[in-house]
Amino acid sequence: MTSHLLLSDVSKQFSHDQAPALDAVTLDVAAGSCTAILGPSGSGKSTILRVMAGLDPVSSGQVFVDGVDVGGLAPERRGMGMVFQRPLLFPHLSVLDNVAFADRVAGTGRAAGRRNAERYLEMVQLGGYGRRSVRELSGGQEQRVAIARALAARPRVLLLDEPFSALDPELRADMHRLIDEIRAAISPTIVLVTHDRDEASAVADHIAVLHEGELLQHDTVDAIYNRPRSLRVSRLMGGLNEVPGEVIGGAHVSAMGAVPLDDARRTPDGRATLVVRQEALAVRATDDVHPALPGVTEFAGVVAGIRHLGPRRLLTIALAGGAVELSAELPPGQAVGVGSPVGVTLPRAVVSTVPD
Amino acid sequence: MSLAPLPTRAPVSGRRGIIGAMLVLPAVSLALVVLVGGIGAAVLQSLGLMPLVGPVRLSFDAYSAQSSSLPESIAVSLGIATASTGIAAVVGLAAALVIVSGRWGGRIVAAIGAATVTVPHLVGAAAIGLLLADSGLLPRLLGIEPGGWPRLVGGPWWVAVIAEYSWKESAFVALVVAGTLATRVARYDETAALLGAGRLGRLRFVMIPLCLPALVVSSTIVFVYTLGSYEVAWLLGRTYPEPLPVMALRLFDSITLTARPEAAAVAVVTTAISLAAVGLAFLALRRTAMWR
Amino acid sequence: MSIHASSLSAQPAPTPSGGLRLPGDPGTRLTDSRGARRAGRVLAATLLGAWFVAPLLPLALWAFADRWSFPSVLPTAWGTSGVESAIAQGAVPALWRSIALGLVVAAIATPLGAMAARALTLGTVRWPRIVGLILLAPVALPPFAAVMGLNVVLLRAYVPPLVGLVLVLVVIALPYTTFAMRVAYAAHDVRYEEEARTLGASPWRVLWLVHIPLVAPALARAAFLAFLVGWSDYVVTVIIGGGAVVSLPLVIASSAAGIGNDSTVAILSLAAVVPPLALLAVLAFAGRPRTHAQRVAFAEVHPGSHPIRVALARPHPAEPGAR
Repeated sequence: MTSHLLLSDVSKQFSHDQAPALDAVTLDVAAGSCTAILGPSGSGKSTILRVMAGLDPVSSGQVFVDGVDVGGLAPERRGMGMVFQRPLLFPHLSVLDNVAFADRVAGTGRAAGRRNAERYLEMVQLGGYGRRSVRELSGGQEQRVAIARALAARPRVLLLDEPFSALDPELRADMHRLIDEIRAAISPTIVLVTHDRDEASAVADHIAVLHEGELLQHDTVDAIYNRPRSLRVSRLMGGLNEVPGEVIGGAHVSAMGAVPLDDARRTPDGRATLVVRQEALAVRATDDVHPALPGVTEFAGVVAGIRHLGPRRLLTIALAGGAVELSAELPPGQAVGVGSPVGVTLPRAVVSTVPD
Repeated sequence: MSLAPLPTRAPVSGRRGIIGAMLVLPAVSLALVVLVGGIGAAVLQSLGLMPLVGPVRLSFDAYSAQSSSLPESIAVSLGIATASTGIAAVVGLAAALVIVSGRWGGRIVAAIGAATVTVPHLVGAAAIGLLLADSGLLPRLLGIEPGGWPRLVGGPWWVAVIAEYSWKESAFVALVVAGTLATRVARYDETAALLGAGRLGRLRFVMIPLCLPALVVSSTIVFVYTLGSYEVAWLLGRTYPEPLPVMALRLFDSITLTARPEAAAVAVVTTAISLAAVGLAFLALRRTAMWR
Repeated sequence: MSIHASSLSAQPAPTPSGGLRLPGDPGTRLTDSRGARRAGRVLAATLLGAWFVAPLLPLALWAFADRWSFPSVLPTAWGTSGVESAIAQGAVPALWRSIALGLVVAAIATPLGAMAARALTLGTVRWPRIVGLILLAPVALPPFAAVMGLNVVLLRAYVPPLVGLVLVLVVIALPYTTFAMRVAYAAHDVRYEEEARTLGASPWRVLWLVHIPLVAPALARAAFLAFLVGWSDYVVTVIIGGGAVVSLPLVIASSAAGIGNDSTVAILSLAAVVPPLALLAVLAFAGRPRTHAQRVAFAEVHPGSHPIRVALARPHPAEPGAR
């Protein structure tokens, strides 16, 4: 169940007069890892899964599973399990026979297949549901059965194509826990396509950001959020703060002043944009009695706007007399209003720069 | 066929109900006039309760009058309908599978099939006659003299009749089944492939079970149609034993006064067989898991 | 009833023309084939094509054959004597009568079927199952049986044969028009009409400006099916018309029952085949989705949407084909 998957320079073009759906994508998915492919609609997310599964042929490039080129293999011989957004449970089969389908077509005896299927149903917490008709299931149960069915085929790689986006938020959280449990139990290699950043970070250990058929960055969840390789990645990941300036000798210099940079995170000297997550900024009302901690550079600003995000607030802070605007998320509890003077701290570990 | 679930809504009443009733009323009343009036009158006539002339008297004479030839006619009609339906279902299913394969071949088969469906059966019968008769195109192509050519038209095995029905009805089955396959089954096909099913496995475990209801419904329609169709058997068949519709029309046109009730009796028998066939098909359909 | 027709959407060409390809379109990787399999596929398509075309071949050859003596594979003398004798038998007025009959049947059965289908799909009908059953019942009953019984009733009620003929043919056409329209209304979104109402359109204007244009392709398909019923009927015209209405099939039948006028039969048959084919071609061409929005909507309705829910919402497992 645990295989290494490598796309090497894969391009896919549906017709000559259109932009390629995938443009020279190289993607290395380690055995047993879970990679989320994230991108806006039309970015080629689903195409990449279909190409991996062999449902669509590549225009150029290779797909390797455990180092073997699977380009010539039909989908049924590639050993890729796939779960679509729609569960696509076979309406003419019971729940159990749906899960036992792969064994049945592989020629395993019916009884053995069903015994095996029962195990996978238990893995998705639907033990005892086997005799039901697929029409008696709720949306979340349907998707669980679809996952059990894909797992029961003992795939080398499990491909999930927006599998939870039709479910409501609570069910989705349940499904995320289910994926964690499955990973703990049998550690399959998983590639998950989603347009939901929170889902990607909740489920996956790596994120690959795709935009217009191009793979922008493939990294750990942490690195994707805090060390985007380009402004586009930063924006696609929901980053709001971009400060144009210049990297000079270990610091980013802009209208708001010099921000010290980690050696590992800075670009060579020259024009560069500083990016920092709005969640990572520390904001403090300066009329507070406590002074700034010693050794920390604090930038003075004024709150220019407030928007509520559930229990938290998103502040727009004008710095350097309005020459720079930063967004920062503020946890509940602090009393600030529009016009309040604030001090903003940019922790060194979360600031990074991208070259212009 | 008509018994698929309908959207269930709140009980229909008030203005909505009146509008709904007004919308279906014209169609339903015409259908009832023809169906109830027609079949009802046929039953009454066959029982002597609606004579053209003479006294009204309940009797089963009309049913017993043809008792010597009626069983044979029933057998011939059932045989033709069964054979035609069987061939049409097999060829139609194969054509549907070729059609949904989506290649140019599939497109062409779909187009020719759609064209075939528009051909009137009477024209089909004339065309099959010109193809299969002993001076037809086929013996000419094969270079077989009339003496050596089997009697396909008007012969003992009703070959030309069955060929005509199979030909035209296979196109009908193909389009109905392809309609279901094309719209719904493609994604299931992919899913099955990803679960390791090869071509044959997908055909056996996914495609055929999924299009079975459409196949059963269309085959039933073919069977009932073939059983009640007149002109093909009249034109391409032999004179004895007669299929039921041919027998009924001969009696209907006969100048003997007793013949009209006898024609009605044959019509009632044919109707009963058709309804039984539809009932059986419905039972079979309920057993397929796809139904409901 | 002597014809079955299919609605055009039964042709599986949901691959829209504008290059929009959807996952799950027919002809994906799964149906790719090479070598022997490809040969098998081509062979199967060729055999099926031959099966469907073969019976029409002698018609085309005989139609313009003055003489075709036995062993030769092609007519020995070409000519138009078949056309002349067909005209002498009254083919031209019969052709017009058949066209008129088909049009009248379509003109009545299409709106009736559409109205019933609309009410059934919206769920505003009491006893919807029974109503649906009554409207589909004509396909399950042998037409000659109902017509034989009805003949006496119509005679006693002094209904003119022509009216009786149209009545019966309309009822035979109703299952097709109702079915075609139920499929269409199942995919039709009433909210378009509600939106038009909120924009100030009266129900009558909504009907003409929104409702009918949206279901127009389906209406055309339904009308085509109803036309075919009138166009190709033989047995009902014989029994109820009682010789009063000589339609094209009657002329063909009387000619085909005789011996030695093969070229007349062939030309008459061709005359009966060409008009519906022309209509089919027009429908196929006009029924294609044109705008981007239509294509997307088409794609959403067809391969996408929840298959099971759609299956349940539709009145028939055999989806868009009717006969």
